[in-house]
Amino acid sequence: MKISAAGRKSLSASLLVSGILAAVPSVAFAAEAGSGASLIIPDMSEFIPALLAFLVLWFILAKFAYPAITGMLDKRAATIKDSLEQAETARIEGERLLERYKAELNDAKKQAAAIVADAKKSGESVKADITAQAQVQADEMIAKAQLAIEAEKNQAISELQSSVADLSVAVAGRLIGEDLSDGEHRKLIERYVKEAGSLNAN
Amino acid sequence: MPTDRNLTRQEVSTYATCLLEAARAEDAVFEVGTQLQNALLIVRANMRLRDALKEPSIPSAKRIEVLEDVFGNCDAALVEVLHVMVERDDIQLLSRVCEEYGVLSEQDLNAVIVDVTSAVALDDHLREVLTTKLSEDFGSDILLREYVDPSILGGIIMSTHGERIDASMTSQLEHARGVLSTELSGGDR
Repeated sequence: MKISAAGRKSLSASLLVSGILAAVPSVAFAAEAGSGASLIIPDMSEFIPALLAFLVLWFILAKFAYPAITGMLDKRAATIKDSLEQAETARIEGERLLERYKAELNDAKKQAAAIVADAKKSGESVKADITAQAQVQADEMIAKAQLAIEAEKNQAISELQSSVADLSVAVAGRLIGEDLSDGEHRKLIERYVKEAGSLNAN
Repeated sequence: MPTDRNLTRQEVSTYATCLLEAARAEDAVFEVGTQLQNALLIVRANMRLRDALKEPSIPSAKRIEVLEDVFGNCDAALVEVLHVMVERDDIQLLSRVCEEYGVLSEQDLNAVIVDVTSAVALDDHLREVLTTKLSEDFGSDILLREYVDPSILGGIIMSTHGERIDASMTSQLEHARGVLSTELSGGDR
């Protein structure tokens, strides 16, 4: 069975560790025995099986567990890295969108302000026009009403004056017709004849 | 149309001349003229009479009957002339016949005939005053054709040859009414 360089390195490190680990129980065991070198030198009857068990365990782990664990860790690292990259990308995109939205919001605010200002200006203009038009119409109506009132007043005055004149003349005529005697009529005729101009046009 | 006018003028002259000759024969030129003038005034004032005398659909005998009823008391010569005019449907010429007769009668009488209207009848003194004044105006003898019309209230109206002096009370009151209306209107506005 061939072992790669990485595998040999790993095997050497494992042997070193196993050796240390094998030494520790021996010391403990020797301490428990409490007698000289036997405390340091392991008991071969125990050491060999332990070593074999260790080797089998190491082999199994190296063959089956380590690659899976390493692959899983690598995969997890890659996933984490990708996630971080995606998060960074998302953060950058979010910041970009935020800036864009802020800019659009500012534009929208400016446009809204402009629209409100235009509407206000337009409203003021319309209000002024309506007010002016209403004023003109009111002035015209007042002028017409004044003319109509003046005309009706003049007509009423004229009718009254005419009535007064008619009544005066009627009363005067009645008084003349009733009060003048024939002699007074004839005196009146004589006076008129003397005052009259010539009837001869030639 | 000039021919028609000449014909009409001749007709008018014929009527007036015939009437004048008849009146002269009766020595009633002025009186007939007065009656003719009165007849004209009556026809003018009465629209139904005027229409009846002019209406060609009414038989002439009926129209003459109406004429007799209205003017039967007038001079016979005048009534005869009116008969002829009605028969010939010439009654509309009455006004012109009256004018022509006036001219001819003035020539015949050698005087100016003046129509005088007053509210009361004239007395001799007024006639004298009028005649004197009018004689001075015309340099000729004057004949007064007198009318009494109480509706003029007073004063006098004189007219002849198309000229007219209206010194009646009604005209003076009408003038006063006009002045009064004008003065009131002018003073207040």
